[in-house]
Amino acid sequence: MSFLARFARNKGAVIGLLVLLAVVVVAVVAPLTYPQSPWRLVGRPVLAPFALERFPLGTDTLGRDVMAGLMHGARVSLLIGLVSTVVALLIGVPLGAVAGYRGGLVDDALMRFTEFFQTIPSFALAIVIVAILQPSIASIVLAIAIVSWPPVARLVRGEVLSLRARDYVQAAVTVGQTTPRIILSEVLPNTLAPIIVMASLMVASAILLESSLSFLGLGDPNMMTWGYMVGAGRTRLIDAWWISFFPGFAIFLTVLALNLVGEGLNDALNPRLARGRGA
Amino acid sequence: MPFLRFLTGRVLKGVLVLIAIAALNFLLIRAAPGDPAQVMAGEAGAADAQFIEQLRQRFGLDRPLLEQLWLYMKGVLTLDLGYSYRQQRSVASLIGERLPATLLLTGTAFVISLALGTVMGALAARRAGRWSDSAITTLALVFYATPLFWIALMSQIVFSLKLGLVPNVGYETIGANYTGLNRALDIGRHLVLPALTLGLFFTALYTRMMRASTLEVAGADFVKTARAKGLSESVVARRHVARNAILPVVTLAGLQAGQIVGGAVLTETVFAWPGIGRLMFESLAQRDYSVLLGVFFVSSAMVVLFNLITDLVYRQVDPRIEVGA
Amino acid sequence: MLASLVRGAAAATILGLLSTAASAQGEPKRGGALQVVVTPEPPMLMQALNQNGPTNMIAGNIYESFLRYDEKLNPQPSLAESWEISPDQKVYTFKLKSGVTWHDGKPFTADDAVFTFDKFLRQEHPRWRPIVNAQVDKIEKVDDRTIRFTLKQPFGPFILAFEVATTPMVPKHIYEGTDYKANPMNATPIGTGPMKFKEWRKGSFVHLVRNENYHDKSRPLLDEVYFQFIPDAASRAVAYETGKVDVLTGGAVEIFDVARLSKLPNTCVTTKGWEMFAPHAWISVNVRNGILGNKQFRQAMMHAIDRDFGRDVVWSGYGKIPTGPISSKTKFYSAEGVKTYDYNPAKAKELVKQSGYKGETIRFLALPYGETWSRWGEAIKQNLEDVGIKMELVTTDVPGWTQRTSNFDFDLTFNFLYQFGDPATGVARSYISTNIVKGNPFGNVGGYSNPEVDKLFADAASAPAEQRQALYTKVQQILADELPVLWLLELDFPTVSRCNVKDLVTTAVGINDAMRNAWKQ
Repeated sequence: MSFLARFARNKGAVIGLLVLLAVVVVAVVAPLTYPQSPWRLVGRPVLAPFALERFPLGTDTLGRDVMAGLMHGARVSLLIGLVSTVVALLIGVPLGAVAGYRGGLVDDALMRFTEFFQTIPSFALAIVIVAILQPSIASIVLAIAIVSWPPVARLVRGEVLSLRARDYVQAAVTVGQTTPRIILSEVLPNTLAPIIVMASLMVASAILLESSLSFLGLGDPNMMTWGYMVGAGRTRLIDAWWISFFPGFAIFLTVLALNLVGEGLNDALNPRLARGRGA
Repeated sequence: MPFLRFLTGRVLKGVLVLIAIAALNFLLIRAAPGDPAQVMAGEAGAADAQFIEQLRQRFGLDRPLLEQLWLYMKGVLTLDLGYSYRQQRSVASLIGERLPATLLLTGTAFVISLALGTVMGALAARRAGRWSDSAITTLALVFYATPLFWIALMSQIVFSLKLGLVPNVGYETIGANYTGLNRALDIGRHLVLPALTLGLFFTALYTRMMRASTLEVAGADFVKTARAKGLSESVVARRHVARNAILPVVTLAGLQAGQIVGGAVLTETVFAWPGIGRLMFESLAQRDYSVLLGVFFVSSAMVVLFNLITDLVYRQVDPRIEVGA
Repeated sequence: MLASLVRGAAAATILGLLSTAASAQGEPKRGGALQVVVTPEPPMLMQALNQNGPTNMIAGNIYESFLRYDEKLNPQPSLAESWEISPDQKVYTFKLKSGVTWHDGKPFTADDAVFTFDKFLRQEHPRWRPIVNAQVDKIEKVDDRTIRFTLKQPFGPFILAFEVATTPMVPKHIYEGTDYKANPMNATPIGTGPMKFKEWRKGSFVHLVRNENYHDKSRPLLDEVYFQFIPDAASRAVAYETGKVDVLTGGAVEIFDVARLSKLPNTCVTTKGWEMFAPHAWISVNVRNGILGNKQFRQAMMHAIDRDFGRDVVWSGYGKIPTGPISSKTKFYSAEGVKTYDYNPAKAKELVKQSGYKGETIRFLALPYGETWSRWGEAIKQNLEDVGIKMELVTTDVPGWTQRTSNFDFDLTFNFLYQFGDPATGVARSYISTNIVKGNPFGNVGGYSNPEVDKLFADAASAPAEQRQALYTKVQQILADELPVLWLLELDFPTVSRCNVKDLVTTAVGINDAMRNAWKQ
């Protein structure tokens, strides 16, 4: 069975993928639909959804269009999720691969280093990093990446450890290939499946983490994100639910979609496990 | 004795990691702009430069950074966490006062989420692919994917304001002076919302984990053997599958048990729970260095401790596993 | 000797009349506990060592000073029962009340007062220090109940310095000869005030109880007060709605929640009790930085900012648009002949063009004081962008803000300062060139310098009372034209309380000494 067919067998995963595509489309067309900045004060404050046709999702406490914020927010939130995941992978994958492949003292040192980052409470560490560097999109991405790479390193190390002993790797060693080359061409490609699954979940966690930072006042004040919108509208839950509900729902949908896709990838990339579904 | 060697080895490594963390934290925090003297002067609404300098000398901030680091590390090595000039109290007593509240909250949330998570995860796995599986997985994701601070306020509005079932903030009824069982009940009522809010987030994680690992174990050879022996499906599920599937969940939980001690910042803030997560965030906002470092140190120590305990539990459950490796 | 004599006794009669008027709505009742929300949690309660807002709200009921002030800032007797000021306005003599004791039972005497003013506060108090060092020649004990201050020159605002947060009396028998900051008694403060310290459960509450031996036998009326700490503003509002607390002090809930809560049954809102502070909000402009040194550009910004929107939408209609540096609540306010700025984007665009602005990015440092301030920053940034100014909002936490502002590391920054009743103490500091000093966020951080303004402020501080108004009127005219800062709003911090809590706010410092008179119906 092909990868695609296996993926398509999981209905949830397909739905997730469609939702995700929709979010991406929204992010792409946002500047076309709402060419003006989403921060502009365009209407009467605290208008309910559909009170005016112009504002299908209402306006927020300052009279900004919630719909415009939601669409522009999709861009930044996705961007933060993707970039911080990529950065985390860039730290975690090489570290884990070297540790697993080399073993011995190198492994021990690198794993102590990883453990070190896993021991500091991660959310607290993220808060401190953003506070030190001052809130901006770069510092937020960095903070998220720094707290989320250790599980990647551990995962990759585990996979590499078990691959190292395989025949084809040993063959490459005998042929005299250089270590970096072996890691890159023989070992890593075979760890791709679990990494992809993990990455899809990391994007979701990153979006959530950004919203928590934003809630504590550590968001980038020049970037409209869903996290910012939920945090800023939360205090008006009682009298203006729509301000925080729609961005909150958007976060929920996206994270849900990413999780479903992650699960689908898992099933598709690990056919042995998928049999357990007994479908 | 291999067990003793294993134990001392682990403890030693843990201590080394802790020392490194303490030093790194110290340098990290000092990289943040502003210092406690400035903050205190700022809060008073007036200050002159000389006054701020006087405060700095008082806090020992005028000495070279390396000397301050040395003094701090000397303290840490003798388990002396220092003194908060801002609050005029020793850091150990400040943390000691707050730690029980955090342990109660995270402990409760932890038990709830572990129990709920394993049961729901196992159920979902047994019904994999059917609608009840989808329902459980989706429900778990709802709690995982909704920002915690939003759920927190929403639950206050629904359960405290609209329904009047439980108090919305605090640790106990202030001024009621309950004692004994009444006090315990009172604290319990205050615990409901924060513990559920925090617990549901982790429930989601454990449910997913348990489901995945149950599915994995269910396909393993020894389970097939058990089935072949003619054991009933429910016996296999309980004795063979669940027992083994729970192992990775315990590992994850062990890692997280420590993490949620420091990670309850949001829950404690929104529910005015007097724990160390809030203490950490507040002391960061005031650059109360010694307290902030103290909270970091204590929660890191917790993580090390929990990891050690998990490893020991692991050895008990499954002696085949080489934990030290 | 001709002395202008202010009789405490006479003032006391007026107070007496006031309280009879108040009792028309019901006879003051003894007893009961009050639950008050204060935010954030203060670092300590030793008021002579810390004058953080929340510290004052709690400790102002434990400690006392010589005087209290009504909402017109007229002095009223407290620990001093009468006082007189010499005709040359250089000698202040206070007669202390008899029979006053500390919470530990020891008597309060002129020795305690001299120790407090001359030793303790001179060393420790950031606002008393400059006054005592620059203005006061000597502080003497005349007899056990009389104390005399001799000034170097007349100093208009001196009579306002006897407010509890500025000069809280500390017990000599506990602090003399010790390291004040490290004294273990700081944890259990001892004052003369109506309330005694009982317990502080960190992260939860401070518990104060009635001082049975208070020197006014008819006070206080409450048995106990709990000051609760709830870190999240929205949760504080819910706590009030569910009946967990009776009083939300100024700033405890976001201002839009005040409007919502005020509609609840049995809920009263007052904006009084901040007359001494008269918080004045503005944007400091760093005039050192390029185009910001250009007056036309600053005037353009003033026309571009929709200050009415700020008040009506961001601050839910609370507050008043200022006309200049002095709050309308502070002495010597005048709007006579000042230049005014309406919201006029067209005119602002015109002025931006004339100023020679070339599109450089202006960094606007926001104030990390909660939702209302964040929204205000976003709105103003948008206002300025609308007239073609390129803006970048910079956020940081409180220590970061303090550091950047006091090191002049900003283009524009929010600020709000207390005025302390008199322009000489609370206003001049933001505009005079001698106060351009790094390290202090409440100095003249923008770097504005004008010798004429310096001289007017200096003259006005020591001029005879009747000549001060003319000098301050002139200074307000100059500053309103030059715009060293952009004044935004005279802030109101409304106090929300259950209507059956009576006589809560009766003075110019509101909650800070409220527990003397407050009672529960």
